[in-house]
Amino acid sequence: MADDWEEIRRLAADFQRAQFADTVQRLSERNCIEIITKLVQNKKLEVVHTLDGKEYITPAQISREIRDELYVHGGRINIVDLQQIINVDWVHVENRAGEIARSDKSVRLVLGQLIDDTYLDRLAEEVNDRLQEAGLITIAELCKSYDLPGDFLTEELSKRLGKLIQGEVDQYNRGVIFTPAFVARHKARIQGLFSAITRPTPISSMIGTFGFQEHLLYSVLEELVNKRRLKGSVVGGRQDKAVYIPDIYSKTQNAWVDSFLQQNGYLEFDALVRLGIPEPLSYIKKRFKSNKLLFLRTTCVGHTLVDQVEASVEEAVSSATWTDIQSILPCCLSVEDIGILINQALRNTNVQSCARVLGSTVVVSDKFISSCLSLFDDTMQHKAQKEVKNNPVFLITEDDLKQVSVLTESSALSKKEKREAERRKKTTEGSGSVKSGGGGNAREIRIRKTKKKGRKDEDSDEETGPSQQHRSKQTEAPFMAQEEIVAVLQQRVSDCPEEIFSELAEHLVRPLTKTYQEVLRTVFASSTSSLTGANKKKSTKDLQEEITNLFNNIRLFEKGSKFFSDEAQVHIAKHVLKTVCTDLTNILVNFLAADLMMSVENPSSITNEVRLKIVGKLPEETRGPLLKLHNCLNGKSIEDFMINLETCAEVCGFMLKKGDKKKERQALFQHRLALTEQLKEAEDPALVLHLTCVLLFQASTHCMLHAPGRCVPQIIGTLTGRIATEHQQLLSVYESLVVKQLVSQSQSQKLQQLEEEEQAEAPDEEARSIRSQLILMTPQVKELVLSQRKPSVSED
Amino acid sequence: MTDEATRRTVSQIPLLKTHAGPRDRALWPQRLKEEYQALIRFVEQNKAADNDWFRLESNADGTRWTGTCWFIHELLRYEFHLEFDIPVTYPDTAPEVAVPELDGKTSKMYRGGKICLTEHFAPLWARNAPRFGLAHLMALGLGPWLAVEVPDLISKGLVVHKERQREASE
Repeated sequence: MADDWEEIRRLAADFQRAQFADTVQRLSERNCIEIITKLVQNKKLEVVHTLDGKEYITPAQISREIRDELYVHGGRINIVDLQQIINVDWVHVENRAGEIARSDKSVRLVLGQLIDDTYLDRLAEEVNDRLQEAGLITIAELCKSYDLPGDFLTEELSKRLGKLIQGEVDQYNRGVIFTPAFVARHKARIQGLFSAITRPTPISSMIGTFGFQEHLLYSVLEELVNKRRLKGSVVGGRQDKAVYIPDIYSKTQNAWVDSFLQQNGYLEFDALVRLGIPEPLSYIKKRFKSNKLLFLRTTCVGHTLVDQVEASVEEAVSSATWTDIQSILPCCLSVEDIGILINQALRNTNVQSCARVLGSTVVVSDKFISSCLSLFDDTMQHKAQKEVKNNPVFLITEDDLKQVSVLTESSALSKKEKREAERRKKTTEGSGSVKSGGGGNAREIRIRKTKKKGRKDEDSDEETGPSQQHRSKQTEAPFMAQEEIVAVLQQRVSDCPEEIFSELAEHLVRPLTKTYQEVLRTVFASSTSSLTGANKKKSTKDLQEEITNLFNNIRLFEKGSKFFSDEAQVHIAKHVLKTVCTDLTNILVNFLAADLMMSVENPSSITNEVRLKIVGKLPEETRGPLLKLHNCLNGKSIEDFMINLETCAEVCGFMLKKGDKKKERQALFQHRLALTEQLKEAEDPALVLHLTCVLLFQASTHCMLHAPGRCVPQIIGTLTGRIATEHQQLLSVYESLVVKQLVSQSQSQKLQQLEEEEQAEAPDEEARSIRSQLILMTPQVKELVLSQRKPSVSED
Repeated sequence: MTDEATRRTVSQIPLLKTHAGPRDRALWPQRLKEEYQALIRFVEQNKAADNDWFRLESNADGTRWTGTCWFIHELLRYEFHLEFDIPVTYPDTAPEVAVPELDGKTSKMYRGGKICLTEHFAPLWARNAPRFGLAHLMALGLGPWLAVEVPDLISKGLVVHKERQREASE
């Protein structure tokens, strides 16, 4: 126990001794760090500590280590890798590396990598190996595989070219290295290929097909072309558009162009383009500087062809014919070009004024055209004659116009008015039928009235219509339609090409119409002059006679009407005025109109309106009386008419002789004769009755009667006591039958309209019986007059 | 809990074999001998590593220990008095080391200046009882505590270097 404690004490003492024993005089780690930091701060020591802070390293050591690492890594090391290996701060590594690169010429700092010459030499050797293998190597390829900048590589490699690298750099493209063998091979290929080319070939397509090196190709090609080893030229520089044109091609091309021009006398631009001449116009200009070529839109033409054209044009002009230029020109010339060419030829030969181009290719001399005009002379004459005969009214218009313009020189307005009037007259005339002046009955009058109405409507319609159109139509009487002209030309001028006919016709229409107008005028003038000249006296004489006759007849008719009651008298007077008096007036008016060249061939065709118009245009002294006369026609009294007629006759220079007894009797006789003739011919019971009555009246009273059909009962009334009773009865029976027939006829008409056949049967039967009775009685009635006539004649 | 260096140091301290407290009259001297041997060894190690940082001294029967410990911070040496008793349950219970000078200056301390060891220390000790001795206490308990607390206290101004204190008072 005690030992233990003893030992403890001893141990405690040991412990104290151990505690107070000097600690080993040794700098702790942190002290060392502190000291070195201090020293570095005071610039007494130049060391760099490693990244983990465990070691210090001097810059010289870093340099040495960098060099060692560079060597170990085969002459190329990245600074980043260096920094990791040396394990000091990046900045120090970079500084030292930069210093090494600066101080040592064999070491370079490229893209953060240290590279020394040995590496580059080895690289060059590698490149050389590859080059010898491939024949060609691009710097870009090397850049990619060695991960180095192109400029640096180019510089370094070019230093070693010829030494380490057996090859050369393309002069134009520094990015490529190739071996002489490769170049020679290439050159041989190019030489062969391009020697074989006979037509322009785009170089880019060659590159594509044969896998040439573009840069090499161009330089080699240039060299070969310059040495004249290759006969040809490169057009378009070194771009994609570059085209190799072999001499042989351009030679044949030129030869072709020359021969074509020589043979055909022209060159087509399209053909040149097809030959591969991109700008034919400039090419031609360059090639044929000396030749005088005429440049057209799509071709150019040699002087021979132009001469030919000129010659044919001249010939056509001088021989007064036509010529189709197209036949002597090559077919490829467009119509437009032909036009230009012809114009040129016309200008050159100075025949522009006496030739025309028709159908764009046919040159026609003016003489030929006029000869064509003469073809129509005959037809024109014929047509004019026909026109004069057929269409006097139209001629009136035409001549009236002329006269108006010559004589009165009235204003355009009045002219127009007159024209208007004439036109109206013409239209009415044209549509109006030629009516018989005498022997009208009630129905006829009715028809006439309706016709008049219709005409009025037409008139008003036409007046509102566009007058200009009509005027132009009237002013120029068309000779022939263009188609007709074409047809005629086709018949007569058979050798001309078809297509010019219509154009020729177009040219002809106007002059033809003009000449036709003239021909028409002359024809008309001659016809009218002959009419007016020789026949005038005769006609006036005839007129005098006619007027006198009519005048006397009217007087006799008037006398005859006195036998009747007032009512019947009015009817008869109206009838007389409408028929005989109107005729007389028309004759007078037409006579006066003839002086104004407005006469109508058949005076009876003049209607109320026409008459009024003509009267309106007459000179002052004749216009008044005739106007009055005209007005009387619509009146009721024959006496008024007679008074006016006398004054009119005076004005017109006619003598109105009052007939003496002898003449009266003659008239009576003639009248009766005419009526009897009519009666003999007549079949219609109504007409038979009418004529019989009139004749009986004349026989019994020795007075002429001109009465409408509806006055027949009155006539029969006046006949009572003047003829035998059995005759009277016969007449009245006949009359009643006639009336019945008329009535049944009108009824059956109505029924037929209704289409009720059953009911129509009975009247039909009745009508048949009436008709048969009438047929039976008609000879008896006729006999009444015809038998009586002889004694009466003997009486007279 | 501790850095690699400390752990290495601790591993070199010989482990104790005798399980005896101060009450165990027969075996306590044996234990005490082992304690001393471990402490000597530890101090020698520290000195060899230029890491001497405490002085210890016990009473005759080895139940009460006093001494100093120091910590070098920013090239200045801060020295503190230290004391502790061997508890009766030793070595099952670790002694409570006290640094009276720092009493009330840090929250990591019980009343009377007993340092508040990390929560890892107690289980570590319990696991290693009875093989851990005073040398382990110093290396794993007080050493890390000082290394954490003293720079903190200095930065807070609660601990001022004695020379500076002097300078300040002068």
